[in-house]
Amino acid sequence: MSTHSTLPSGQTVFDPRGTVTAETVALAPRLATLRGMRVAILDNSKWNGSNLLRRVATRLEAEAAPAAITHYTKDSFSRAALDPLLDQIAAENDAVVTAIGD
Amino acid sequence: MITMDTQLDLVEWYFEQGWTDGLPVVPPTTATVAAMVEALGGDAHRLETRVPPRWGNLTREVLAINLVLAGCTPAYAPVVRAAILALCGAHFNLNGIQATTHMAAPLLIVNGPIRREIGMNAGANVFGSGNRANATIGRALRLIMLNVGGGWPGDLDKSTLGHPGKYTFCIAEHEEASPWAPYHVEQGYRPDDSTVFCIATEGPHSVTNHVANDPQGVLDSLVSCMSTIAHNNAVSSGSCAVVIGPEHAATIAGAGWTRGDVRRYLWSHTTNTFDDISFHGRYGKIYNRNLPKWYRREPGARIPIVPSPDDIHLFVAGGEAGRFSAFLPGWGHMTSPVLRAIDGQAPQHDVRCTDGTCEL
Repeated sequence: MSTHSTLPSGQTVFDPRGTVTAETVALAPRLATLRGMRVAILDNSKWNGSNLLRRVATRLEAEAAPAAITHYTKDSFSRAALDPLLDQIAAENDAVVTAIGD
Repeated sequence: MITMDTQLDLVEWYFEQGWTDGLPVVPPTTATVAAMVEALGGDAHRLETRVPPRWGNLTREVLAINLVLAGCTPAYAPVVRAAILALCGAHFNLNGIQATTHMAAPLLIVNGPIRREIGMNAGANVFGSGNRANATIGRALRLIMLNVGGGWPGDLDKSTLGHPGKYTFCIAEHEEASPWAPYHVEQGYRPDDSTVFCIATEGPHSVTNHVANDPQGVLDSLVSCMSTIAHNNAVSSGSCAVVIGPEHAATIAGAGWTRGDVRRYLWSHTTNTFDDISFHGRYGKIYNRNLPKWYRREPGARIPIVPSPDDIHLFVAGGEAGRFSAFLPGWGHMTSPVLRAIDGQAPQHDVRCTDGTCEL
């Protein structure tokens, strides 16, 4: 993409935004049911996010009959979860629920 | 031939595109962009970095365009380049800083000879208006964070309040008025190295003390300013900045106190307790996992503002008259400040002295 173009007036203008290089990543197949599935709860370590996830876990336990609910916590609510944690969650679970709440 | 009255007002044209910070920009020309690319080392299409959270590609040409829009001269280009590379390193977490509801903005502090070479202000009104280098270097960074990083208010920038430093937030250390070795020398660089230091902070809070004639008196006013549960360090730890005015610095250093002594005194005497930050139990038992694990979470336990004295980043700046300093709370543990040489070189880390004074 060119960063400059010419207006009908003949004046040259410049685009300061830069291009974005992106690749499309497909979502994992959706589960038809949580019954008998292993569900991860990924806590981002924020106070109200944790409250929300505790209630979600309680409801899932009571209503969705998962095989297991396992809790994980990010090191920092603002930083991306580290690859080893993501790999562990992926290996040990069929679904993951996370939340943000200030 | 095109006459003047058929020409568009390009300042208005850039407003219409939404490519400004809300102030008029300097419309670039082919010549001014080329001169800026040249000042960056040529190679217009070279990718310098990607700027979050939009992750736009910052080529030298795009960097140059933003430098011109901000009103920079080519002499400022190496400073802005070094600063944006510091901001876009993983440790700084610009992704979070751009998107957070907190008001933090990246503050840039410049050390070394380049301050003088490009005419930066380290003296009177250092955080204020009136100096082209300070103003437009900080503005160029903000334009890049907006245009390339996509940090538009309400879109990818979710800051509840923001602060005025989100227009421009750039100062230089007043090395000539400081009784201590410059910040970058303390960190292992040579006095003739030039560096950029970036830290995400709230705005500066004035610390007034016109009475004390000893270090403790001056620093107890700073301690008072730092000892509040309202800033982000109180709840998220991390790092912060303290800017000592030259008069206060002279009082402190006159009693033989070093930079390290100041940091350690401030760290040791802030007075937040676990009772304060847990609201005395008013809202139930609060543990706060965002503070270091080794803090005692029990009644009466002191909660340091930051984990160690080294997390207080101390600078001397400001006018030579006036008994004022400033405290700038940081964003929290979610970001790490970055010190970087303008030419990208690593520090020498000579161990001849612990605070850099023997280098002077």
